[in-house]
Amino acid sequence: MTDQEPRRPRRWPLPLALVLLVLAGSCLLVLGDRAEAQAEANRALTDGQTTAEVVGDVGNALGRIFSYTPADTAATAKAADALLDGPAAAQYRSLFAQVKQQVADQKLTLTTRVVRAGVTELSGEQAKLLVFLDQTSQREGKAASTAAAQLSVTARRTGGHWRITELKAR
Amino acid sequence: MAVRRLNPVLTAALALVVVAAVAAIFTGWSWYAAAHDDTAAYARARDQALAAAEQAVQNMNTLDHADLARGLDLWEASTTGDLHSQLVQGRADFSKQVAQAQTVSTAKVLAGAVTELDERAGRAAVLVALRITVQAPKQQPATKESRMLGELTRTATGWKLSALGQAPMGSAAGSGQ
Repeated sequence: MTDQEPRRPRRWPLPLALVLLVLAGSCLLVLGDRAEAQAEANRALTDGQTTAEVVGDVGNALGRIFSYTPADTAATAKAADALLDGPAAAQYRSLFAQVKQQVADQKLTLTTRVVRAGVTELSGEQAKLLVFLDQTSQREGKAASTAAAQLSVTARRTGGHWRITELKAR
Repeated sequence: MAVRRLNPVLTAALALVVVAAVAAIFTGWSWYAAAHDDTAAYARARDQALAAAEQAVQNMNTLDHADLARGLDLWEASTTGDLHSQLVQGRADFSKQVAQAQTVSTAKVLAGAVTELDERAGRAAVLVALRITVQAPKQQPATKESRMLGELTRTATGWKLSALGQAPMGSAAGSGQ
């Protein structure tokens, strides 16, 4: 017993040094991380695959919810239920309720195409995009006319798909 | 006695663990730092390109007939390559037109996004949505929303527009070009 007691303190420095080293290493990682965190937290383009997914899903959704034929507005409304969420869903429902009657009365067809889309912010499960659209509308028996539209879109990923939660005309 | 005999082994083992831990941390850290630097540099370039693009597109849609020289100097400072050469070549004629029309154009960027970025080549493509107001003499100011596609090239003095035009209507969709 008397032999061992003075030795004990000598064993501590090694595990202690180990712990300190690990801590120091972690601190380096955290500090380095924080310095670049701001630009890097936004994964638009730096995460090319997810960026392409958002652009694809949002473009597809916009094309479907802003395209309809007088014979089948129900299909558009149904697509919107699946593709929109949050404020965008509520906003779209009230807008579409107004448009539906006109579409039937005037035999209106609308086709929307994405011209170009870019992701401005991508973090976690949320993304913000700028989308340029062409909207071609046609009354039965009349010439079609095309208008340009610019939208700021917010999307959220749920169940592996990006759904639009906010829409704002630019 | 048992403790005394174990001690050198234990000490050696612990020393090895420490050496291994240091090596692991160092290797891991340098690997992480290298990968991290690339992503961080790319993210920075993206943000710089967008900021430069938005400012340059705003500059290119701003012009006061009463301060033509300064406005056109800013156009030239915002551009590079072919676009820059075109501006320099057409400057005299264009100045005459604007002086005659006596218009004042102002622009406000509503939103912008980078669609492509080749950091190594120093090239980027952007979308910019903006509102342009043109005031002609004795007329109400005319305001219109505009959507533009721009190409940027990195120069010694930062990102500059090397091409700029309206996003055409009825053109094929695609994220490329």
